[in-house]
Formats: sequence, structure tokens, C-alpha cells
Amino acid sequence: MTAFEKFIYEHLHTLRRIVQFGTIVFVVLVPIFNKWGYNQVIGTFYSISIGHLEIVDPALVVQSILLTREIHFPLLLAGFIPLLLALFLGKVFCSWVCPFNLLAEWGDRIRKRIRPSLAKEDHLNPRAHHYWLIYGSILSVVAIFGLPLITLISLPGLITGQIADLLFFGTLGFEILFVFLILILEVFFAPRFWCKYACPVGATLALLRTKKTLKIKFEPGKCIYAQTKRLPCQVVCPLQLNPMRIDIYPYCYNCGECVDACRKEGQALNFTLQPLERFIPMDFVEGKKRMID
Amino acid sequence: MLLKWLQKIAQWRYPLRPPGAVPEQEFEDKCIRCRKCEEVCPYGSIKMGHAEWGLKMGTPFIYPRDIPCYLCMKCPQVCPTGALEPLTDKRQVKMGVAKIDQTTCLPYSGIICRACYERCPIYREAIILKDELYPVVVPEKCVGCGICENVCPNESPSIIVYSAHQLGG
Repeated sequence: MTAFEKFIYEHLHTLRRIVQFGTIVFVVLVPIFNKWGYNQVIGTFYSISIGHLEIVDPALVVQSILLTREIHFPLLLAGFIPLLLALFLGKVFCSWVCPFNLLAEWGDRIRKRIRPSLAKEDHLNPRAHHYWLIYGSILSVVAIFGLPLITLISLPGLITGQIADLLFFGTLGFEILFVFLILILEVFFAPRFWCKYACPVGATLALLRTKKTLKIKFEPGKCIYAQTKRLPCQVVCPLQLNPMRIDIYPYCYNCGECVDACRKEGQALNFTLQPLERFIPMDFVEGKKRMID
Repeated sequence: MLLKWLQKIAQWRYPLRPPGAVPEQEFEDKCIRCRKCEEVCPYGSIKMGHAEWGLKMGTPFIYPRDIPCYLCMKCPQVCPTGALEPLTDKRQVKMGVAKIDQTTCLPYSGIICRACYERCPIYREAIILKDELYPVVVPEKCVGCGICENVCPNESPSIIVYSAHQLGG
């Protein structure tokens, strides 16, 4: 392990929070600087350009193709940058950058206090096809009804767009209430359902995956726990996944909270870019349970 | 109070779209609400519609009586989706067409006024003076920037720009 990797592993949680707060500062500074006449960085999380580098949310590129039924080449090119990042690092935009994720993580902290009973108990992960079914139905609504649905429900875009409007003209739209509606639903009824199941922005980033994409690797031999209760890695997972199982993708957004929690326990969980040599048996959890009995 | 509201409703007109905007239906599909045009506009002319616009929320509008478009042609360059075509020549812009209401326009009732004529960015082409006195709009040359509507000294402007992006078309 190189010194750089060691540094990252040791400060995983802190680094992520720094990036998240840095993002908030960034999206506030961009409109302010533009108001002062500096147009080097313009845009929101729908689309941003840094100098001559154009970046567009790939979900919106997909929507644009479905709505206009034609391909605007510069747009296609601008959508590739986030997709490439996702190809190597997974949905890190969601966990490290997206401002709604930060809000939702705070919301979940409140939820843990006031409604702890909503925590999942079964150690299982949801099946991948649920995720793709929801994404597919959003895309079908876009294509069939011709609605710009992805723009309307893209929460990172909505939040940063409202910040830009607020700083530019001092006006906020009622659409900001949508963010609070989702947060309230998450706190009281369905913890983190938006990022986990519904968000089309995240789903588009999860489209491209190879065997070499950054992933969580679990080494059963190093795990010091017997599966009798919810383990630290499962308790800290913001999306209530079980990172010991291999089927956490496409849900897992590589935030690294489980890796961070496991650093103090046995270091059985690590990030890896290498393909996993073998599948960790799906019934590992149950197997360990049996060993104890 | 009620009268004022009614007046406001009666005077409501479809606002302008930024320069280079493609036809309305196509614009709605192409615009991804990224706010780049809003941020790059040095005059604060471009304002975003909010939830009251329904599906058009987050799309850019220009209200010429507030702040018109000064045709600096920055916004068409930054649009990532082609919702604003990357025009550079302000004469190619077609945001709308100005119309003069001769019943209230000052020169037509005998008071000399050249506010719109002198401020027009397509100077002496889009608004010409008939008999060196009466302003007349040339619809083929008018780009619809709204500067004339902005500078009209009448309380409710006698020259009004009608948007090329109406509700239906």
C-alpha cells in the first residue's frame, strides 16, 4: 500500500466531508463570481463549464436524445466526462459531491434518532433489477409523454439551480419544496429511498460498469465478527446495504463509510480496482451464523 | 388593489426568450435549465421561470420592461444543448417584433419624442422616422431586444415587443 493510499484510507470520512462542504462552497461561489463579471466557471450541476471544458449531466444527455430524437454532438461529448469518471470510480459523484446526498445524510441522522425502527434487519441487499426498472420507467415517461422529467426531478441540479437564482435575483421557486418533501418522506417513512432507488442522475452514472471499476472488496477471513447482530459496516452504510455481500452494485455509491468503519475492526473491507477473483458466496452471512450455532 | 391586479393580468404578455432561441416546443425539449445563460448575462436581463411556469420551470425569460436584452451575444455561446443557437451577429436575432400603439405614442399626438428611435441597437434600420417625426417599426429588421419598450417614457409603454415564442407556437 502506497503512502498516498494509506493517507486516503486513514482519512476517508474526513476527506469526503471536506469534498462535500467544498462542493457547497463552490456552488455558492460560482453565481457570486459570475455576478461580479468573472465568467470562467459557469453553470450548475445540470451543466457546468470550467474554462473551455464543458460538462453536462449524462442523465440530461439521455433525456435530450429521447426528447428531441436527434443527437447534438457537443452535448454528447460533454456528457462523457462524468461517465468516464463513473466508469473508473463508480457513482462517486453521488456520495462525494451531490449536495442532496449531504442533506439526506443529515436527515438520516435525525431519522436514526426519532425513528430507529425503520432500520433494515435482514442483512440482504435489494435486487439490481428493481433499480433498473425504476430508471427504465422514468426514461419511458420521458420518451412517451415528452416530459423533461429528469430535469424536473434532478435534485443536485434543482438545489444548485435554486442557489444560483437566489444569489442572482434573490428569488426562490416553489420547486425547492420538492427537496423538503423528499427529505420528510425519507426521515419518516422510507430511509434514503431517493438516492438508493429513484434518482435518475445516479442511475445513469451506474450504467457503465466493468470488472475494473472501483468496488468494495470483502475478505471473509479477516472479519472478526460472528454474524449475530448488525455489524459496524452495515450500521454505518448510508444506504442500508450489506457491504459483505458482492451484490451491492448498482446501489452502492462508493462513499467508503463501511471501509472506514472496518479500519478499526479487522480491515476486511477495502476498495479495489482489480476484478474480484472469486465471488464471495452469497450465503456467507448465513454460513457464519451456522458455524456459531 | 384588485384593479391593479386586473390591470396586471390584462397587460400580461408572453415574455421574450434569450437571443438565438429555437422555436418554443423545441426549446422546452432542449433546454436543460442549467442557468448558464442567466449567470453569463452581464445585465441581469435573463431571469429563470419558477414553479408557476409548470413544465417550463427553470427556463430563461427576458422581461424587457424590467431589463431588456442588450444583444451582447454572450448567452448563445455558452448554451450547451443548442436550445440557443450560437449566433454571433445581433442582426440575425429574432426574439420578437416591436409594435407601436399610435393612440398613445407621444409623437403621434404632437409631442416630440425619439426615445425608442435613438436607443434602437439596429439604429435607423429597425425603427425609422417617418417625416422626421413619427417612429415606425420595420418588422423585417426588428430583432425584438426590447430596448425600445424599456425606454418608452409612457407609464404603460406605447411600443411593445411581442415575443416570437408564444404559448402555442
